[in-house]
Amino acid sequence: METQYIGEHLGPGQLGHFFVILSFVAALFSAFSYFRAANTENTDIKGSSAWLTMGRNGFVVHSVAVMGVFFTLFYIITNHLFEYHYAWKHSDLSLSPKYLLSCFWEGQEGSFLLWSFWHSVLGLVVMFTAKKMESRVMAVIALVQVALATMLLGFYLGPDINIGSSPFILLRDKMVGAPIFSQPNYMEFIKDGNGLNILLQNYWMVIHPPVLFLGFSATLIPFAYTIAAIWKGEYKEWIKPTWIWSLFAGAVLGTGIMMGGAWAYESLTFGGYWAWDPVENASLVPWLTLIAALHTLIVFKVTGRAYIMTAIMFILTYGLIWYSTFLTRTGVLGDTSVHSFTGEGQSLYWHLLAVIIVLIGIAKALLIVRWKSLPRVKSEEQVSSREFWMFIGSFVLFLAALQIIFVTSIPVWAPLAKWISGKEIAPPVDPVAHYNSIQVWVAIVIALLSAAVLYLKFKTTDTKLFWKRITIVAAIATVLTLVIGLTQKISMPQYAILLFACSFTIVATINYAISIQKGKLMKLGASVTHLGFGLSLMGILLSSYNKEVISYNTTGVIIPYGEDKMENIRESMQNVILYKNITVPMGEYDVTYLGDSISANDPRTFYKVYYERRDSITGEKVESFTLYPDAFVNPKGQEGGMSANPDSKHYLTKDVFTYVTSVIDPSKREDTNAYKKHVVQIGDTVFVNRGYIIFRGFNTAVSHPHYIPQQGDIAVTAELTLKSLGGDSMRVAPLYYIRNNFENYIEDTIAEKRTYVRLSKILPEENGAELMIRQPDEDYVVMKAILFPYINVLWLGIIVMVIGFFISMANRITKKEKVK
Amino acid sequence: MKKSHIVLLVLVAAAVTIIVSMFGDFSTYETFASAAQDQGKQYHVIGELAKGKNMEYDPLKDPNHFSFYVQDKSGQVNQVVFKGAKPTDIEKSEQIVMTGYMQGDVFHCDKIQMKCPSKYENDQVAVANQG
Repeated sequence: METQYIGEHLGPGQLGHFFVILSFVAALFSAFSYFRAANTENTDIKGSSAWLTMGRNGFVVHSVAVMGVFFTLFYIITNHLFEYHYAWKHSDLSLSPKYLLSCFWEGQEGSFLLWSFWHSVLGLVVMFTAKKMESRVMAVIALVQVALATMLLGFYLGPDINIGSSPFILLRDKMVGAPIFSQPNYMEFIKDGNGLNILLQNYWMVIHPPVLFLGFSATLIPFAYTIAAIWKGEYKEWIKPTWIWSLFAGAVLGTGIMMGGAWAYESLTFGGYWAWDPVENASLVPWLTLIAALHTLIVFKVTGRAYIMTAIMFILTYGLIWYSTFLTRTGVLGDTSVHSFTGEGQSLYWHLLAVIIVLIGIAKALLIVRWKSLPRVKSEEQVSSREFWMFIGSFVLFLAALQIIFVTSIPVWAPLAKWISGKEIAPPVDPVAHYNSIQVWVAIVIALLSAAVLYLKFKTTDTKLFWKRITIVAAIATVLTLVIGLTQKISMPQYAILLFACSFTIVATINYAISIQKGKLMKLGASVTHLGFGLSLMGILLSSYNKEVISYNTTGVIIPYGEDKMENIRESMQNVILYKNITVPMGEYDVTYLGDSISANDPRTFYKVYYERRDSITGEKVESFTLYPDAFVNPKGQEGGMSANPDSKHYLTKDVFTYVTSVIDPSKREDTNAYKKHVVQIGDTVFVNRGYIIFRGFNTAVSHPHYIPQQGDIAVTAELTLKSLGGDSMRVAPLYYIRNNFENYIEDTIAEKRTYVRLSKILPEENGAELMIRQPDEDYVVMKAILFPYINVLWLGIIVMVIGFFISMANRITKKEKVK
Repeated sequence: MKKSHIVLLVLVAAAVTIIVSMFGDFSTYETFASAAQDQGKQYHVIGELAKGKNMEYDPLKDPNHFSFYVQDKSGQVNQVVFKGAKPTDIEKSEQIVMTGYMQGDVFHCDKIQMKCPSKYENDQVAVANQG
C-alpha cells in the first residue's frame, strides 16, 4: 500500500501541473490554428478567419496558463511549501520578501518560465499590432512557446530520460528512496529550505534577470517577422514592425547585459563589470548580431540592398539566444565559467539541441525554398554611400560576434579538436587579455564607422562636403584625445587609437545632432545612440586602463618564503591585512579597520573601514568616509566559508572599490591566553601580531635587571629582534637559567603589543631554542581595494545609448509610412 | 565584382588570419608532470584536493600565500601555491581547475576554479587575484 503522507499541500502542485499541461496544449493548438489560418488565407477566406480566431483564443488561453504557472509557483515559494523541491531548493524561511522573486531565476524551471512569460506578453502585443502578418508571425511565436512549454512538462520516460522538468515536482519524488520519506510525517522534519544562493541576494539580481530575459524574448519578434516574411514572400510590410521590435530588443537586451555588469561590479569580487566570462559573452554575442541586423535592415529599407544579410542576422540572433541557453544551462561549459550553472543532465542537453535544430532548420529550409525570389539589387553601390559603410560595419560586428562565440565555445568543440590533434584545448589562460587584444580593433573600427556614416548620405554623397566636415570633427577629436590621453597617461598605441576613435564618435555625434539635425528630437535617435556607444567605450577605456589596486601590501610584514622569486609575490600582493584600529596607507588614503557589526535581521557581517585623505603638503585632513564592505560568514551550506560583497565610494570621476577577502572566523578564535610553542634555529622568524621576531642566537653575557647571578648558574638569553609593521625594530631578550638543577625563566614582554616571550628550552644539538609566545588574538580583516577612474562615463554612455534606442523607436512608431 | 564584395573578402581574410593566430592564445589541459616539462609556461591543470595533506594559509604571515596539495588526473600529488587569499570552501570542492605554471616542484597558480557539490544551482566559485 502506498504511504499516506501527512502535512503535505498537494493542491497547488496539482493546479500548477494542470496549468503546465494547459499551456503546452494551448500553445500547440494556437500554433496549429495560426498555421492553418496562414495557409488558407488565399484559398478559403472564411475558413482562414475562423482559424485565426481559434489561434488567438488558443494563445490567450496559453498566456493565462503561463501566468497561472507563474502565480502557483510564486504561491508555493511565498508560503514556504518545502514539500516542493523547487521551494525547498531555492528558498528558505529567512529569505527577505524582496528576494522571493529571485528564486524564480535561480532554477532552470523558473528561468524557462520567466522566458515563456515574456514571450506571451510580447506575443499578445504582436497579436494586436501585426495586422496582415499576424497569422504567420503568431504561428512562429506559438511554435516557440510549444518548445518552451515542453521544457516544463516533466515527463519521465525512464530514470534519466525526461522531457523537461516540472517546477512542481515534490521533494519526495525528486529524491526517491531517501530514508526520510519512509515516514508518513516526514514534513515535520523538513522545517526549512536550502535557501537562495547568497550571490543572488542583491538588489541587482531582482531586476537584472527579468530585464535580460525580456531582452532575450524581444529578439523572438524580429525573428518571427523574418520567418513570416519569407514564408509569405512579402518583404515590404515586414520592415516597419521588425525595425521597431529590433530597436526595442536592442535597448532592452543592452540594458539587461549592462545590468549584469553592474551586478558583477557591485556584488561580485572579481573587481570589475566585465570579465569576458562565457555567460556574459553568450548574451553579448546575440546583441552584436542584432545590432548588425538592425543596421542592414535600414540599408534594405532605403536602398533595397542587403536583404539576405539582414534575414540571416535576425535568424542567427535568435538561434544564438537558444545557443547561449545551451551553453549556460547544460553544464557544457563546465570548468570555464564563473557562473555557469550546474548541468541538468543529458535530457536538457538534447532537448535544447533539438529546439535549436528545429528553429534554425525551419528558417534554413524557408530560405532555400525562397532563395531565387529573395529581394536583391543588381547594380553596385557607391563607395561614398552610407549603405556601403553601414553594411561593412554590420559585417565587422558579425565577425566580432563570431570570434567571441568561437572562443567561448572552446569546451563545445574541444573534444573534436582532441580527436583531430590529440591535444586537450583549454580556454586562453588570460581570457580578458585575449579578447581585449582582438576586440579593441573591432571597437576602433565600429566607433569610427558609427560616427562617419552619419555624415554620409544614402546612395551618393558629396565627398567634398563630407571630408570638410570630417576634418573639422577629427581636428576637435584630436585635441580631446591629446587632453585626455596626456592627463590619463594612455600610452599603449592601440588604446591611444581607441581613445581617438571614441573621442571622434563623441564629437561627431554631438556636432551632427546640433549643426546638421538642428536638435530635432525625433530625428536624433541614431546620433544619440551612437553618442552613447562612444561614451560607453570611453568609460570602459578610462576605467579599465587606469584601474589601480591600491591595497598593495606595503606593511613590510612580507618575508621571502624560501627562495621564491620576490617579484612573483610582489605581483600578487593585492590583499592587505588591516588590524583593528591600526592605520595603513593605501594609495592616497589612510585606511583603518574599526571593527565589525551584525544586525538581527541581516545575515551579513559588516566591516567598518574608515578612509581618510590628507593633503600631502599641509597634512590637513581633506576628506574622510567610511565604507562597509560586507560578507556572509559561515553561510548556510558552506560552513567555514564566506562570501563577500564589495562596497564602493562613488565620486563623480572615480570609484574606490573595496571588499574583504578574508576574516577571522569568529567561531574559531583561539584562546587568547595560551602560550604557543615555537622551535627556532638561528635566523628563523616567528610571526607575531603586527610583526615578526627574528632569532639571532644565544648570548651568555647576561645582564638583566631582574637577574642576580649566583655561583653555579647556567644563564643564557635568546637574542631576538622584533620587526614591527611600521618598520621599527627592537631588541627582545628573554632569559633562561638553570639554578640548582631547576629551570628558571625571565620573560621579556613587549608592552605595547601585550606580547610575552619566554625562552623555555635550549636545544644544543640543533643549535636551536624553544620559545613560548603569548599574545592577544587580534581582530583583523584582509581587504582589497581598487580604484576605478571615470566609471560613471560608462554608466552614462549606456543610459544615453538606451535613450537613443527609444527615441528611434518612438520616431518609427509615430511616423506614417508613405503609401507607395 | 562589386566593390563591397572585395571589401568583404578582405575582412573575411583578416578574420581568418585573426582566428588562426588566436590558436596561439589557447591553453591546454595538462598534468603536473607534463606542465613540469615546460617550466614557467602557463597551463590549466585539473585535479582534486589531496586529502590528508595539510593546507597552509595564515593571513597574519602573508595574506597572499596559500599552499595546499592537489592530486591531478594522473594521480600525482603535488604542492600548489596560490598567490592570494585562501578560497573559501576549498575543502568541499570536488574538482579544482588551476591556471598557473610549474616552478621547480611547486605549481604556482594565480587562478583557481572549484566545483563544489551541487548544493546550489550555480555552485562554481572562481577565485582570481588579478584585479
